[in-house]
Amino acid sequence: MTGRRELWRWGLVAPPLVISVALFVGPLAYLFYVSLHEVSPSELYGSWSLASYAAIAADPFYLLIIRRTLVTALAVLALALVIGYPVAYWIAKLPARARSLALLALLFPLMVSNVVRAYGWAAILGRRGVINTALGGLGLTDGPLGLLYSPEAVVLGLLTILLPYMVISIANVLASLDPRYAEAAQALGAGPIRTFIHVTLPLSAPGVASGLLLVFLLTLSAYVTIAVLGGPQSKLLVSLVYDSVVSFHWPQAAALAFTLLAIALAVSGAIMAVVRPGRVQGGRR
Amino acid sequence: MSVARLARAAAITVAYVLIVAPIAVVVVTAFSPTDFFVFPPPGLSLRWFVEFFRLDNMRGAFLFSLEVALIAATVASVLGTAGALFLARRRGAFATVLQGLFLAPLVFPTIILGLALLLLYKSVGMPVLPGLLFAHAVVGMPYSFRTTLAGLQGLDPALEEAGQSLGAGPLRTLALITLPLIWPSVLSGWLFAFIVSFGELNTALFLTGPGQTTLPIEIFSYLQFQGSQLVIAAASALQVGLIILMVAGIERIVGIARIVRAR
Amino acid sequence: MTGDDIDVRLAGVTKTFGAVAAVRDVSLEIPRGSIFSLLGPSGCGKTTTLRLIAGFEQPTQGQVYIRGRDVTDVPPYRRDFSIVFQSYALFPHLTVAENVGFGPRMRGVGRAVRGREVAEALALVKLAGYEARYPRELSGGQQQRVALARAIVVRPAVLLLDEPLGALDKMLREEMQVELRQLQQRLGITAVFVTHDQEEALTLSDHVAVMRDGRIEQVGAPRAIYERPDTEFVAGFLGASNFFDGVVVARDTAGAEIEVAGWRVRMADVTAAVGAQVRIAVRPERMRLGGPDAPGQPATVREIVYRGSTIHYYLDGAAGPILVHRQNAEPGAAELRPGDRVRCRWAPESGVVFAPK
Repeated sequence: MTGRRELWRWGLVAPPLVISVALFVGPLAYLFYVSLHEVSPSELYGSWSLASYAAIAADPFYLLIIRRTLVTALAVLALALVIGYPVAYWIAKLPARARSLALLALLFPLMVSNVVRAYGWAAILGRRGVINTALGGLGLTDGPLGLLYSPEAVVLGLLTILLPYMVISIANVLASLDPRYAEAAQALGAGPIRTFIHVTLPLSAPGVASGLLLVFLLTLSAYVTIAVLGGPQSKLLVSLVYDSVVSFHWPQAAALAFTLLAIALAVSGAIMAVVRPGRVQGGRR
Repeated sequence: MSVARLARAAAITVAYVLIVAPIAVVVVTAFSPTDFFVFPPPGLSLRWFVEFFRLDNMRGAFLFSLEVALIAATVASVLGTAGALFLARRRGAFATVLQGLFLAPLVFPTIILGLALLLLYKSVGMPVLPGLLFAHAVVGMPYSFRTTLAGLQGLDPALEEAGQSLGAGPLRTLALITLPLIWPSVLSGWLFAFIVSFGELNTALFLTGPGQTTLPIEIFSYLQFQGSQLVIAAASALQVGLIILMVAGIERIVGIARIVRAR
Repeated sequence: MTGDDIDVRLAGVTKTFGAVAAVRDVSLEIPRGSIFSLLGPSGCGKTTTLRLIAGFEQPTQGQVYIRGRDVTDVPPYRRDFSIVFQSYALFPHLTVAENVGFGPRMRGVGRAVRGREVAEALALVKLAGYEARYPRELSGGQQQRVALARAIVVRPAVLLLDEPLGALDKMLREEMQVELRQLQQRLGITAVFVTHDQEEALTLSDHVAVMRDGRIEQVGAPRAIYERPDTEFVAGFLGASNFFDGVVVARDTAGAEIEVAGWRVRMADVTAAVGAQVRIAVRPERMRLGGPDAPGQPATVREIVYRGSTIHYYLDGAAGPILVHRQNAEPGAAELRPGDRVRCRWAPESGVVFAPK
């Protein structure tokens, strides 16, 4: 009887479940299956083979790109945390209305397509861009600087996209922290700096962790930003996935995609192990 | 202490400049009367907007994006709301797994999802429009699911029970009590799904085709193959303008505090 | 009493959530037109019992009957009951009239008849003229009345009340208790009332079931429950009790002599044999105080708490601490001081004797 009464609820969950399995889990399983085959010149894939993975492990070019991907991601993470945390702290301390406005100012750009923001940076950094025009106009440089198509431009572009995620994650946790924790620490004799280090910072670990995770995962797949600002010289792992697709090397693209996923999982695990957000569960108001 | 204050002020300034500057430059440039990029522009003109709508591929991409976003957001909302209704009062391992599954596309590298769908579509011969719609429905579903779930969890469960006690069956309880009370959440979920679809790049990169391209992909291919023409500034500014309308809509419906929390 | 007069019957109902048994083998019968209270500390299973009657929960074992019909497998919306929640659960998007008219509407009552029913129900709760308001425009007490009107307008076989007065302040609460009782009697409604407030249960009910750990500890009329508790738990949960451990030293047809800390007391209604260990429970207001030369157990006044209409005395006796309540107006009540030596005693029928566990 319980079953019959619950039947209509199962009818509710069936469509999203079917779609999630058919268009998310299923295709990924198929992608993995494809990655275990040889590249075929005519078909989607050839016979069973681990050649695509072996090629990634053996080729110094791939390893260079993986290392570059990791270095770029770490630079973005570090900068996002160093710049984002103080901003989040400031926002969390604002009165409710001002806090909402400050967060909206971060959220709104997030809604604008990444390609628009990449284009914006290209317009700022390009040879005829805002910076070169300004510097040239002031007579500080002889001829335009090559700012675009560099690893630095990629980091800048990614930071623009991802900083809001970091700030919002941390600010939401900080704003929901019970202020009495900090007050209790101060009552026990901790100054503002020690209160921050021993109380506020550890309690904000869940926000820091989710911010780092989001920023890292989005860094890995931000192909368009990397392509527009990095050009052909600053490719990252995701660029290679795209290149393999364009050259119809499906198993290779699939293997690169799963290499990307493996890196994503490993680094996510490392972030969780270092920040340990679970230790302060229940600390929120 | 003043060094710390200075550092904080610097971080805030850097952050907001980094985040706002590229968009501001693009929007200002869109109104430039010049043939090429000059910043700041020497005057104001709408010529690049006119040009945008004169170009078939740009206008087509804009309309195609609108069509995809409207349908995909609606599909995503129906799916996400159904999932949220199912999971709102459920506990246990199965519910946790299901919730994880419904939220997964939020953090999953979408370019890999795009590649996986491309391979699937190639095997089954899926046409461009439905394929892209499905992809954007999957990507948008978590937004609808999450906002609706939050709305449902803020609802006193006694309200639904009161409805049942007065003789309303599950469907009438849903139609007369639950949905009227959570529709702001459902609607803001729809708007988020629309916005995400309208700016989406990673699945569209693989799943669009000739003559059926979304605006972001059209902008991207201009940037890649035709250099920085000012018509893409106009295209970008239209993107920004549409999103301003959307955000204003959400603000009217659910209030600013809800937007900020929903993300 | 025949079965036709029973509006709600639970037969051996057990409800487990995972490994936790919230309700264990509960059986009870609620006669037509009476108020039946489920009383107990939080977590005792009283709310779960109510939700089992409503059908919001399914029993793991046992049957639920409403007006003789087995409704164990019937979903809530097809059961003949209505409910007032502690949070009221008024639909915030509907007006007062739409809230009250919701039940008739679900039952397919036409617009005209519905309007009349709503007006009658609102008049009963003294809220005529509030039809067009929204719940958020009403005070807590008014919202409570709307919730009540919404529940009675459908003339349910049983009205379930889940701590409906819990959110009101003390004054309003006592006023509503009286009104609720009057309304229930006028309409002849059968009601099941969940509360953790023992005074409220005693005031409102025809029958009280005291629950503990998912079981019914005792069922009876308020007076019986209060004055003749079956168990130590009931004696302690309803009001305060003094407990004394003793040994039965003699018995006769009228009762028994029990020795407590070297001092003999007479008690009526003792079933234990001579030599048995027993525990005596006596209400503080049943204790009598006398001067140091009066008969009774010797004790010393430790603390006096002035409570307005009553005065509470905390005494140290030979058998442990003793609590005594006296009316303020009682002669000599105000004259004792901490440190005074007194004697306390009670009449044989003023206490209850349990076999200790």
